[in-house]
Amino acid sequence: MANSPEEVAKHVKTYLKVGIALLFLTAVTVWLSYVDFGTHSRNMTIGLAVATFKTSLVVLIFMHMNHERPLIYKFMLFSMLLLGVMFTLFVFVRDDGLLLKGYEAVFGKH
Amino acid sequence: MEIPYTVTARPDTGLWNAKIGVWLFLASEVMLFGGLFSSYIFLRLGADYFWPIHELNVKMGCFNTAVLIGSSVTIVMAWAGVKMRNYKMYFWNLLITILCAFLFLSVKFFEYKAKIEHYGVVLKDGTILLGHQPEEGYRYKFNADAVTLNFKEADPAYFMRYATKAFAEHGGAHDEHGGAATPTLPIEGVKFKTEDGKVTTLATNDFLSLKAAAKEAKKDSVKLTPVEPIGFNVQLLPQRLASHSDKTLAFLDGTVVEGKMVSDKMELHVDVIDTRAAPDADKSMAWAIMKDAGWKHAFDEAREEHLKKFKESHPGDDPMKSDHYLREALRFEIHGETPAAHEANHKQGLGFFHDMPWAEHHYPTVQIEAKDIQRWSNFLPKWNTYYAIYFTITGLHGAHVLAGALVMLYFLVFNSRWFKTDPEHLANRVETGGLFWHFVDLVWIFLFPLLYLL
Amino acid sequence: MSATTLTHDHAHDDHAHDHAHHEPGWLYKYIFSTDHKVIGVQYGISGLLFLLFGFFLMMVMRWTIAYPGVPLPGIEFLSGLPVIGDVVTHWTERWAPGGIVSPDLYNMFGAMHGTIMVFMGIVPLGFAAFGNYVMPLQIGAIDMAFPKLNAWSFWLFFIGGMLMMASFFLPTGAAQTGWTNYSPLATTTHYIVKNTWLTGQTWWLAAMVFVISSSLLGSVNFITTLLNLRVRGMTFFRLPFFCWAMLVTSFLLLLAFPPLEVAAILQLFDRVFGSSFFLPTGLIQGGKLLDISGGGSPLLYQHLFWFLAHPEVYVLILPAFAIISDVIPCNARRPLWGYKMMVYSALTLGFLSFLVWAHHMYLTGMGTTMATYFQITTVLISVPSVILLTCLMISLWGGSIRFNTQMLFASAFLPMFGIGGLTGLPLAFSFIDLHLHDTYYVIGHFHYVVAPGTIFALFAGVYHWFPKVTGRFMNDTLGKLHFWPSLLFMNVIFGPMFVQGFAGFHRRWYDGGKAFESTTQDLLWTNELISFGAWGLAISQVPFIVNLWLSIKGGKKVTNDNPWGATTLEWCTPTPPGHGNFLSEPVTYRGPYEYSVPGHDSDFTPQFDGQAPGASAPAATPPVASHH
Ligand code: HEM
Ligand SMILES: [Cu+2]
Repeated sequence: MANSPEEVAKHVKTYLKVGIALLFLTAVTVWLSYVDFGTHSRNMTIGLAVATFKTSLVVLIFMHMNHERPLIYKFMLFSMLLLGVMFTLFVFVRDDGLLLKGYEAVFGKH
Repeated sequence: MEIPYTVTARPDTGLWNAKIGVWLFLASEVMLFGGLFSSYIFLRLGADYFWPIHELNVKMGCFNTAVLIGSSVTIVMAWAGVKMRNYKMYFWNLLITILCAFLFLSVKFFEYKAKIEHYGVVLKDGTILLGHQPEEGYRYKFNADAVTLNFKEADPAYFMRYATKAFAEHGGAHDEHGGAATPTLPIEGVKFKTEDGKVTTLATNDFLSLKAAAKEAKKDSVKLTPVEPIGFNVQLLPQRLASHSDKTLAFLDGTVVEGKMVSDKMELHVDVIDTRAAPDADKSMAWAIMKDAGWKHAFDEAREEHLKKFKESHPGDDPMKSDHYLREALRFEIHGETPAAHEANHKQGLGFFHDMPWAEHHYPTVQIEAKDIQRWSNFLPKWNTYYAIYFTITGLHGAHVLAGALVMLYFLVFNSRWFKTDPEHLANRVETGGLFWHFVDLVWIFLFPLLYLL
Repeated sequence: MSATTLTHDHAHDDHAHDHAHHEPGWLYKYIFSTDHKVIGVQYGISGLLFLLFGFFLMMVMRWTIAYPGVPLPGIEFLSGLPVIGDVVTHWTERWAPGGIVSPDLYNMFGAMHGTIMVFMGIVPLGFAAFGNYVMPLQIGAIDMAFPKLNAWSFWLFFIGGMLMMASFFLPTGAAQTGWTNYSPLATTTHYIVKNTWLTGQTWWLAAMVFVISSSLLGSVNFITTLLNLRVRGMTFFRLPFFCWAMLVTSFLLLLAFPPLEVAAILQLFDRVFGSSFFLPTGLIQGGKLLDISGGGSPLLYQHLFWFLAHPEVYVLILPAFAIISDVIPCNARRPLWGYKMMVYSALTLGFLSFLVWAHHMYLTGMGTTMATYFQITTVLISVPSVILLTCLMISLWGGSIRFNTQMLFASAFLPMFGIGGLTGLPLAFSFIDLHLHDTYYVIGHFHYVVAPGTIFALFAGVYHWFPKVTGRFMNDTLGKLHFWPSLLFMNVIFGPMFVQGFAGFHRRWYDGGKAFESTTQDLLWTNELISFGAWGLAISQVPFIVNLWLSIKGGKKVTNDNPWGATTLEWCTPTPPGHGNFLSEPVTYRGPYEYSVPGHDSDFTPQFDGQAPGASAPAATPPVASHH
């Protein structure tokens, strides 16, 4: 990582801009949550998409993940992978029928 | 002899020790909060009730989000301050970050407090009344004829906390003590008669001799009758009873009191009538409890209005299938002591800050019979799985905020002098602290929509 | 920098002094030390004591299984003892009236046996004790990366352990719902009581939170140390397999324990704040509808638990492989066969172990799709296990084996682990598991892996590193007296369990199946056989305890820093190593297993030998530490 004082000084403005963007996106999230998109899962998807975008800003800019050492990417990728496993399998095992439901949603009932 | 790579990075890994350490720790934190979020998903998918949306104080949540985002900016600025060798920039930004942490926690405290003081009552037909209870809380008032101690676990200091003078028999929540919390009787002041006619109290020494006598007689319980009439005034929160009926009260230490229930009515200042889970909103038990027929009328009007709006915005859709509509139309919020006051307040507009802790409110007071109540609780983990996961995740998150604040305070107080002597070490410290802090912020960014908004 | 030579001919007491410049007080040297070796020994001693205690609990259980309703022998004797006599009397009155083990006591001991063995015995011994002591030495580090954190790990573990032990003396006794602590049973046991904070079930959860936090800190420390404190020349593929196994174990702990922490915290909330995370709607207890919101899910608990607990079983076994992979090459005088393959297998094993957890949950009503998925991954995971085992076996080929005590234990580990692993395979199939789940077959399966498996490996480790730690050898005759009966009785205990399991013996019967006599009578005698095996095993540990005790002060003195002629870096330290470990910073010149290399002068060439052919110290990891 190049962290010379001059370089850091250049970043400072970015940090402020990102902060403002995050505040703005918070307002957007709140506003969107009051809009009725017809089904609740649509609200969910939209709200979480905004939140994910916000967290990626934090991770990439504030936590400097846009230029990190490979080792750290490896740790985090591994734990994110396991997290994914946990999220999906918990849900699938809870309700095996989910696969079926997904199928039915796409192709209709038999 | 010192451990290498505490300040400079090891060339082949490119990292100094604490940086590896904190990232590993964060990887584990990802799994910790991941486990909690998985639980959230699991519980939400399996919820057999209407998952609350916008039920927490959105303004406060929003404010706290802004506070955390702000502090995320300041902590990274503090780090930049060290890197740029600008002490003022470092110092003030770190200080503001810490203050933000405590501001966040204070706001959270008021949010929690509001929930602790708010109650929900599920009626037998599934209707839910929300509201506040009078200061003395919900109490059973019970006149005792006999008290049976079970020596295996009996603990007089525990159940005698609730002993009072006997209640007048006419019943009602307001009795001769005037409704305020009834003074309890001192444990030495209450005399009991044993089955063989001896008079005793339940103060420690007397209790121990009772116990010894019982052991001698190879009995593990004893039945006592009060010499003068006494009652039990049991505050049902935090107390839990093993069981109760019109004729008995059983405490958790195995003590059984026989006698007569004088009053088991709950008084509630109702602020929400939620009829979504009732089979038919129009026939909900709430309307009988609310007494004033004006409430039903106000409810109907509000429902009509929402229905009209829904039909305009979603022509052809079934309103009963829209969570949004059901929440707006069947969950009726009360904003006044009487229907008339409610209408007036509505016409006038509620004001932006009407749901903040400092706003004043007036609500109708009702009496609910114990037989009409299915269950009740304040808005703590016990109320439903939503509040359970809300308190758990935000509680753990709050603990992280506190820990982060303390660590940064430590840096500020004890490591600031490194600014002159060992600035790179200080920068590393602030960076590790900052990484943790950003993670805490990041968790909140998900928590806020998931718990407050969606 | 010169390589440290093999046989230092110096008085060992000397350099012990060299290294203790700022002599800390006794308390800070032995109790609150931050030295990885002291902490390792602390973990070792507490782990061994917990192991012994857990074993004692099991012997009481074996008594009632073999002789249900018959009073325990020896209670009168214990009650008569000074000091503890009163406590014993009082306690047995409550839990074993008339000396007869009550069902509650059986449940309590069962739950605590499992918990103590897994979380307080094996993990602290295999991972924390051996890992702490040996791993930094093997990579040439002077200590762990975060020594203070290391001490914190130990003390958190200690607090957790003490909480567990203290919970036996609560009015409700210790936890009684199995080491898996399944909800809703675990939540609603001792639930409607005056103060749920003061129950064994609650303390179990609180203690687990401490133990888990301890493991998390420990694993952060291990990984950082392994990545950043490797000495010059110690590239990743020169790490002894021991270190690789510890690395994988650390990752398992780091990433699998948090979900268990979540489970413990949620169950804690359920118990003390009345929430319903794991309690379904309409839950009835003792004929009464519980005053709870419901809406929770018992399955959620099982997911969170097994998401940890399957990786956990590899946390139990990987340190065993770690130890064996040092003991076998050293005593067979052969290099470890397939070192790289073993490393990759361990990594694969670590990863796959996160994907198989629901094979413990086949009977929870999961659908066929998911069952298929978990069957496939479970069968897959046995491949790397088999590779590890096979590599170790092939390493023996053509060796001139020294059958000292540690080698006996190590060689017995191989078939014992083999039996354990192979009996796991049938369980991997949901249709067979339907029959075998929760029977003694499962008990037999995992005990073969952990008891004559891991525990034998731990014993091997103790005999192997004892000279380095204390400067004295353990007695080999006593060692053999320890090994042979242990091997025999282990099999007497766990072998018949497979038979019982096939016959449908349930793992939680407190009378050993007497209540179902019409179907179990043919095999009831095996209960007695197994119980005798358990007592025999107990007696077989006497030589070990005596040996350990006597050898510390009276064992044969070590005169050579590398008494076994081993190749890894820990053998170039003074014996015992002082604070800071090495006299001068060592350099690694070669791979970890250069035994009997053709063309070399001796039959072993240590990693720190710079003279023998083939020495190189890559500069990818520059030698100079930044701070000196
Ligand atoms: C090598 C391949 C292995 C396979 C295919 C396998 C498979 C299984 C399966 C399917 C079960 C669930 C049985 C049931 O509850 O019905 C089980 C239980 C168990 N296994 Fe394994 N296993 C293997 C290796 C191991 C190892 C290496 C260990 C640990 C050191 C281990 C420890 C356990 C434990 C502790 C249980 C029982 C947990 C309980 O219910 O209390 N297994 N195994
Ligand atoms: Cu498993």
